[in-house]
Amino acid sequence: MTTTDPGADEALVSGAALFEEHTADDPRPVYRRLREECPVSRSAFLGTPAVMISRYEDVMWALKHPEVFSSGDAIAIGNERPLIPLQIDPPEHAAYRRLLDPEFGPKKMAELEDDARRLVNEIIDGFADSGACDFHEDFATPLPSTIFLRLMGLPQSDLPIFLQWRDNIIRPDVEYGDLEAAAEVREATGKDMYAYFGRAIDERMEEPDDGLLSRLLRAEVDDHRLTRDEALDICYLLIIAGLDTVTATLDCAIGYLAAHPERRRQLVDDPSVSAAAVEELLRYETPVMVIVRSVKEDTEFGGVQMQAGDGVTVVLGAANTDTDEFSDADDVRFDRDRNRHLAFGAGPHRCLGSHLARLELRVALEEFHRRIPDYRILDGAEIHYSPGIRQAESLPIVWDVA
Amino acid sequence: VKVEVENAVCTGHGRCYALAPEVFAPDDDGHCEVVHHEVPADLHAGARTAVGNCPEAALRVVE
Repeated sequence: MTTTDPGADEALVSGAALFEEHTADDPRPVYRRLREECPVSRSAFLGTPAVMISRYEDVMWALKHPEVFSSGDAIAIGNERPLIPLQIDPPEHAAYRRLLDPEFGPKKMAELEDDARRLVNEIIDGFADSGACDFHEDFATPLPSTIFLRLMGLPQSDLPIFLQWRDNIIRPDVEYGDLEAAAEVREATGKDMYAYFGRAIDERMEEPDDGLLSRLLRAEVDDHRLTRDEALDICYLLIIAGLDTVTATLDCAIGYLAAHPERRRQLVDDPSVSAAAVEELLRYETPVMVIVRSVKEDTEFGGVQMQAGDGVTVVLGAANTDTDEFSDADDVRFDRDRNRHLAFGAGPHRCLGSHLARLELRVALEEFHRRIPDYRILDGAEIHYSPGIRQAESLPIVWDVA
Repeated sequence: VKVEVENAVCTGHGRCYALAPEVFAPDDDGHCEVVHHEVPADLHAGARTAVGNCPEAALRVVE
């Protein structure tokens, strides 16, 4: 149950098990044990105390009550100020979402569909005839990154540096568990990102274009123009959130479908199943395993005492496989009648980019299976996913070519 | 059958208008707008499915 309480029952699972090597390859057994043995528990991850919440009902409650479980200051990833809007709680949060929600709303995202479909096909053109690709490297990485840069109005030639920043922040290349070294990498990267976006903002102040960055700089929030710092704090979050999570979701989805031809066959036979498949794979795979909050004031939740400032790990993946909410939770079913999954979170901080993510994922599944209906994992390849945000290190797949 | 949305609870997941686009539609922010408050009989099943899929429980069916 805990790694900090002496005398805790050793047979019970520790929350730290979530982050052990290879847990992310299939985290569902750990999710189950967390829900069953210690649904709300004190734990420790690499020496940092944290409260872990894993049942659907509790996770939902936590996400809907930012006045108890704050999203502000919950995590530092090289940023000097709170990320906007993620680390600003209500009520201040609402003004930023009013500004950003229409930019990422379903109507605006629908305008991107043709361009996304074209891009998906261009990417597939690059490897279709060769009968093999590293799906992670060749498809899942360039697709969301390219769409992000186009949306922002940033040059495609900057993609490599964006990917480097993404990796530095999310999975810094340091010895496992060396938090100090990780923080150093993140801070240095943060400085580079602030400098880059500072320049980009200055350029668009001088010469506005049609990109999102220019639109943000013209926008008003609470009767004032967005300040330079506010624009920076939005950009910082968009890079981190926009480049990584869809890549991870594509990896998880194609990794699953490559290993389950009978499910893949459903998508090939009827592409209209793709939207439901996206939702079900988001639920079952939950690419973003956990999100973090912090305890606002001393409180008790689920029988566990919590103190102001305690870190809270909200285990979205455990909630999404909770049998109390989902019938046959361990089965993948594209015809699920009810799927209230929390892969995009819930409550006021519901993922801003969810409508863009859904568009990219659906179009990717539709076009990939139209072009390459039969594929499989390369013989002998072992697929490993990174903990936290489940990205494949590499995902080599092969198919027959005429 | 009527459907109602509690606007203060909706956070714009968009499950409703994806599942029952004849009954629900997105506003510019992606929040739910009810198109048919009085749901025609042929759309009852879709409306119920959409209501049951709202993660925030912001929707309800009034018989």
